[in-house]
Amino acid sequence: MNRRGIVLIALLVVVAIWVAACGSGKEDETSSPVAETKGKSEDGKTVSTAEADPFGRYEETVKISLSQEVDPTDQLAPGQTPEDNQYTQHVLKELNIEVEYAWTASPSNYDQRLSLAIASNDLPDAMVVGPVQLRQLVQSGQIADLTEVYEQYASDTLKTIIDSTGGMALESATFDGRLMAIPSVKTQEDGIHLMWIRKDWLDALGLEPPRTIDDVERVARAFVENNMGETGKTIGLAGPDSNGKMYAHFLESANNLYGFDPIFSAFGAYPGYWLEGEDGEPVYGSILPEVKEALAKLREWYAAGLIDPEMGVRNDSGESVVAGETGIFFAPWWMGYGPLANAIRENPEANWQAYALPLDANGEFRPHMSTPTVEYVVVREGYEHPEAAIKLLNLLVRDESKFDIDAIGIGYYPLRIVFAPSDEMSVTAQALRDVLSGAKKPEDFYPLVDQGYKLLANDVDNIHKVKLEPYDRMDIEYWDPQADMSVWTRAYSTLVGVGPILDTPMEGVYSLLYSQTNTMEKRWANLKTMEDETFLRIVMGAAPLDDFDTFVEDWLDQGGAQITEEVKEAIRK
Amino acid sequence: MRTKGFEKHYFIMLMPGLIWLILFSVVPMFGIVIAFQDYHPVRGIFGSEWVGLEHFIYMFTLNETKSIFLNTIFIAVMKIIGHLIIPLLFALMLNEVRVALFKRTVQTVVYLPHFLSWVILGGILLDIFAYRGPINQLLQWFGVEPILFFGRADLFPYLVVASDVWKEFGFNTIIYLAALTGIHPSLYEAAAMDGASRLRRLWHITLPGVRTTAVLLAVLSLGNVLNAGFDQIFNLYNPLVYSTGDIIDTWVYRAGLLNLQYELATAVGLLKSVVGFILISLSYYLAYRLTNYRIF
Amino acid sequence: MVRDATMGSKTADVVLIVVLSAITVTCILPIWYTLVLSLSSQSAAAAGKVWLWPVGFNVNAYMEIINDSQFFRSFFISVQRVVLAALFNFLAVVMMAYPLSKSPKQFRSRNVFMWILVFIMLFNGGLIPLYLTVKAYGLINSVWALVFVGGAQIIVFYVILTVNFFRNLPKELEEAALVDGAGPWYVLLKLYIPLAVPVLATVTLFCIVYHWNDFFFGLIFMTREQYYPLQTYIQQLVVAVDPSRMTEDQYKRLSELSNRTLDAAKIFVAMIPVLIVYPFLQRFFIHGITLGSVKE
Repeated sequence: MNRRGIVLIALLVVVAIWVAACGSGKEDETSSPVAETKGKSEDGKTVSTAEADPFGRYEETVKISLSQEVDPTDQLAPGQTPEDNQYTQHVLKELNIEVEYAWTASPSNYDQRLSLAIASNDLPDAMVVGPVQLRQLVQSGQIADLTEVYEQYASDTLKTIIDSTGGMALESATFDGRLMAIPSVKTQEDGIHLMWIRKDWLDALGLEPPRTIDDVERVARAFVENNMGETGKTIGLAGPDSNGKMYAHFLESANNLYGFDPIFSAFGAYPGYWLEGEDGEPVYGSILPEVKEALAKLREWYAAGLIDPEMGVRNDSGESVVAGETGIFFAPWWMGYGPLANAIRENPEANWQAYALPLDANGEFRPHMSTPTVEYVVVREGYEHPEAAIKLLNLLVRDESKFDIDAIGIGYYPLRIVFAPSDEMSVTAQALRDVLSGAKKPEDFYPLVDQGYKLLANDVDNIHKVKLEPYDRMDIEYWDPQADMSVWTRAYSTLVGVGPILDTPMEGVYSLLYSQTNTMEKRWANLKTMEDETFLRIVMGAAPLDDFDTFVEDWLDQGGAQITEEVKEAIRK
Repeated sequence: MRTKGFEKHYFIMLMPGLIWLILFSVVPMFGIVIAFQDYHPVRGIFGSEWVGLEHFIYMFTLNETKSIFLNTIFIAVMKIIGHLIIPLLFALMLNEVRVALFKRTVQTVVYLPHFLSWVILGGILLDIFAYRGPINQLLQWFGVEPILFFGRADLFPYLVVASDVWKEFGFNTIIYLAALTGIHPSLYEAAAMDGASRLRRLWHITLPGVRTTAVLLAVLSLGNVLNAGFDQIFNLYNPLVYSTGDIIDTWVYRAGLLNLQYELATAVGLLKSVVGFILISLSYYLAYRLTNYRIF
Repeated sequence: MVRDATMGSKTADVVLIVVLSAITVTCILPIWYTLVLSLSSQSAAAAGKVWLWPVGFNVNAYMEIINDSQFFRSFFISVQRVVLAALFNFLAVVMMAYPLSKSPKQFRSRNVFMWILVFIMLFNGGLIPLYLTVKAYGLINSVWALVFVGGAQIIVFYVILTVNFFRNLPKELEEAALVDGAGPWYVLLKLYIPLAVPVLATVTLFCIVYHWNDFFFGLIFMTREQYYPLQTYIQQLVVAVDPSRMTEDQYKRLSELSNRTLDAAKIFVAMIPVLIVYPFLQRFFIHGITLGSVKE
């Protein structure tokens, strides 16, 4: 009797809670549209002060739980913590949104923690995810449809930035016509990989920047043979480190440091990209014969000791750049932010310059182009305030340049993803040139700040601090990094790293697809592992070149053919 | 004796441990059914669709499955052999030393690495065996070209085995040393009187004295054939050596957590458990047959 | 023993001591290297110039650790975890091992329980169900999750070890006590536990080392750094990061903050407790492990 009584009471409680929950859910549904149209605010929980105001402050504090990447080595100013800092305070003040963290993880563990959260359906209210997880979340119906909320609440600047990609960003977040996530937008220059080379070494040897594949070989050999690193361990051409990859691919199409992307492009090879085959049908770039040619060349170089013998194993290829052992590496424009700041600290004469080289057989530079979106903000299905996430992003775009990011990195802004107009860096580089040449005044660029070019005013104001005359020469001796290291970092990256992109007419190659298809969910990881492993082993001489052909067969057999069909379908849509 | 009523107490004694295991091992074990499902996070383990043996069938079509099982067995078997022989040799050598202080010091120092985690040792090893690390500098001295130790798929399993044996040998030495102290000194004295040389004494007295110990240890370790050491390999490997160094546990971890293939990962894990269980049963039987000893 | 003083034997002694010394040195070297690295200047460490002696000697890294509140928080969590785990582990193991050391005649279900335990030891449901279970118990971010989940992984192994030891204790003692009218609890408390100090010390030491060195569960069950145990805290420092998803400012911060000297110092400090504890326990566990696993 007793036990039965308890069970009965428990059952009643459960039912009561359930009924209550359903009841309040219905109330929300009926009250919010009414409230929105009338702008009433009786139910402070669901209604903003003004209807669909992108920056509207909630009357009652709205709570949102998030996940956050926290770098354990980050040093924050006193009073700032990953969970309570100027950003969370600002958000609370401006929007009355109280941010809570469901969990945090270091950058290396973030993905793993995220997978765990997805698999166990233990999601925070909103979070930042990559394209693979986004797809998974959509498939299992774990995240909310943001189509309407985005329309109503996204600020004009945010929409302008997202639209600057010509629809690419939105498309990547749209499934069956519904917008399931807010896409980030990166500057397009992040996806163009350039050749960074020690120009002081070239000058010392009386060489020109290498224009062709053969030139690269000659220069790398000259660097190694003349022991330009002076330590007896000169690395002609750096290779990817243990976390790196040989080339950016359609799922991670930008910011590949120390890869061989331009070498592949010079062979007309675009491994990891979905290309249009000769028959007009999609084909996976990694299985085309051009890739084999490129691999053969890399293999030859590796065997000849021109490429870093420790590629693929080294912890960080940047270390040898800093140590002055490396002569050439391939990477995007922002290397001032990367190893170069430390490199010139070690050796102020290390004259690292960037070139849109080497050229292909037709004398053209045809880089592969990235998708503008690498990250997405998603909202858990069932969260009452999906618009809160969008408001956070609106505020981020509006106020990003006003924060003191030296006290605590902008990465700690809740739900921070990158929003930069897709031509941000080209515009910035051109602006700096115009200001330096005197063609324009810094003030001419101030209005652009409101269009999403957040840092442009700072850039043009500060350029004279670090750039020495003559203004059109970019060698390291015409810079004064010591004057202001952080200004130098950005200015050098912009002028040296983006300059070649402005000056070189180039027709980039896009992937037909930058997201996964159904079969890929199950099979892609295994196929990709096989690809990476085979190619790495071929280059490093651990497997014969003809393993490439076996790889192509295996790839098609183990799901590649099926995936290609799906890609065909996806593109037809 | 009145031991009949004791069984009740025996059950009570077992309870705390059993409850602990039920809560934290048995309850999560329901997750095994994921291997037979099309797992859907929202519907959970109880609501996901059943797909039967689909994941197992796919598993057997994958080239990787075969190689991870072979890698695991190869590394684990080598480790078992290493863990048996090296400590024995070391114990025999140490047993021959007659400077007590030296003996004690060596004994204390050599099992130090046993206590350090692979998180820590992994980093240190990668440094020491780096392309320009001290080992390679030493080799260059002898005119040997530097070797990319942890990037060579052909070397990786041996490095893993060697470093694990190095980490654990001191600890295992203890077992043998104890067995050696169990040999009565009068046996040696008698042999010395008869004019037996040092080697002969080793062969005829010392080795037979530790034979049972060695056999027992060998059999006991059979259950470990599918445990090649997750922590160690996780902290040492890289894609270059996946072909020979990827083991079941690391693969399951990557597939399940990083690549979101929960079902496949669970299926492989289950297969591992089944094989492991068979092997343990086998070693139980073997130990009983060979040494007349029930290991549990 | 007169004959040993021959020339050949003396040479053998010298060779023996040299070889043993060399092996012993390899066991200290990694720890020495870490210490040296932690005492060197940052630039020398980054350039890989440091080997056996500090370059640019300084103790800045240690000063920095003193100011790192998270390091101490994690340190304390690890201590807490180890103490709790050792205590619970001890109780559960002793209480389970005693009934299981009885023969099937004395305790009829003994074999059934034993095989159930072995089954539990080998099978698991994978990480996701484990996470869900711990979450359902409300133990996320609690040190108890680490104590119990970690314990459930290893406890059966310890029980087997202890059972073996118990079974080899002289039967006569217990029989005499039983004749005097003692019950099983009395026998366990007053007879078995005092006699089993070596094996229990060993098992406790194993447990301490396991819990001190485990980083993985901290990563899974703790939602933020402030709850991490020490090895988890260190693991996230030493693991390298994939730059492809980083923005340039993140990357810049990362490269400026990478600090091998500081990492080495943290690693070294993390080793200290283990280095301190083990000489105290070694006397016990030498006996413990020998008697527990092998009894001639």
